[in-house]
Amino acid sequence: MTIFLKAGSELRERLQPDVDYYTRKVETEEGKSIRTILEELGINPAFVAFAYSDGSIKRLDYVPKDGDTITLQPPVSGG
Amino acid sequence: MTAELSSKEEDRYFRQLFVKEWNQEKLKQAKVFVAGVGGLGSASTYYLAAAGIGTIHICDGDIVERVDLNRQILYSEKSIGKPKVEEAYRRLSMLNPEIKIDITNGYLTKKNVSTLIDGYDIIVDGLDNVETRLLLNTLSIEKGIPYAYGTVQGWEGFLSLFNPPATACFSCVMDEGLEEKITPTLVPGVLPGIIGAIQASEVIKYLMDVERTSLGKLMVYDSRRLAFDVITIEKNPNCSCNKL
Ligand SMILES: [Zn+2]
Repeated sequence: MTIFLKAGSELRERLQPDVDYYTRKVETEEGKSIRTILEELGINPAFVAFAYSDGSIKRLDYVPKDGDTITLQPPVSGG
Repeated sequence: MTAELSSKEEDRYFRQLFVKEWNQEKLKQAKVFVAGVGGLGSASTYYLAAAGIGTIHICDGDIVERVDLNRQILYSEKSIGKPKVEEAYRRLSMLNPEIKIDITNGYLTKKNVSTLIDGYDIIVDGLDNVETRLLLNTLSIEKGIPYAYGTVQGWEGFLSLFNPPATACFSCVMDEGLEEKITPTLVPGVLPGIIGAIQASEVIKYLMDVERTSLGKLMVYDSRRLAFDVITIEKNPNCSCNKL
């Protein structure tokens, strides 16, 4: 199945987008969590504070469905 | 402080007084605690003071440096070397002498936070680190004071209004993740201005009980692509806020 991962700011370079400035197309198998998918891409899940898809927060143990677009957010703490 | 408006106040707030659902008297009686007057706090306190919040307490232990001036609009070249809270006090009192501004020239710590935030209606986040946000989050839950969260980095900013047990808290959302240590904050100066101004708007709406939109929501603003994502946040069943 195919999912799309998006990331801005500091995570973007780790994600290495290939669809557009923010988005990477990822081929993966069903049943894997975001955490596992990130690990398989060589991205340390510890650099993700939270993820969201379809207007709601997803934890890293969320198991994506075919065609999902998931935005990854790094921890941000400036003020 | 009497809730009734003087004729001077009626003049000052005239352009907002007759906005539908507006309640200037509620703002006049409100007490707002602002933790940190850097980039976010400069913008939020400026608009909160202008709006006529009756009591604003600002807390920061920092000194103004030249490098702050791209975004910390309360300060000027003349402020360099002076305590931020004193400069902020001067600027905000010039803007609105009708309100009360209290200052604490020091950082929030485990020791002082409980006493400092006591009796306030809402806490506004102007901090620049996770540790103090966690501390403020815990105490705001213990005392039942809503916490208007905001943060910025790069082209992005986040914003929410946490008010457990009704909503998720800061830790419910940010329980995972290591921060790549980016110190100091790298941002276009206008970004904390935007987030700080929206924080002020959400605080004002909260105080007047107008469509408390940011409760249970997290706004992610990407200024690079002019995108505001508003996402629903649910309580994390494993979060310590469920036990407090
Ligand atoms: Zn929580």
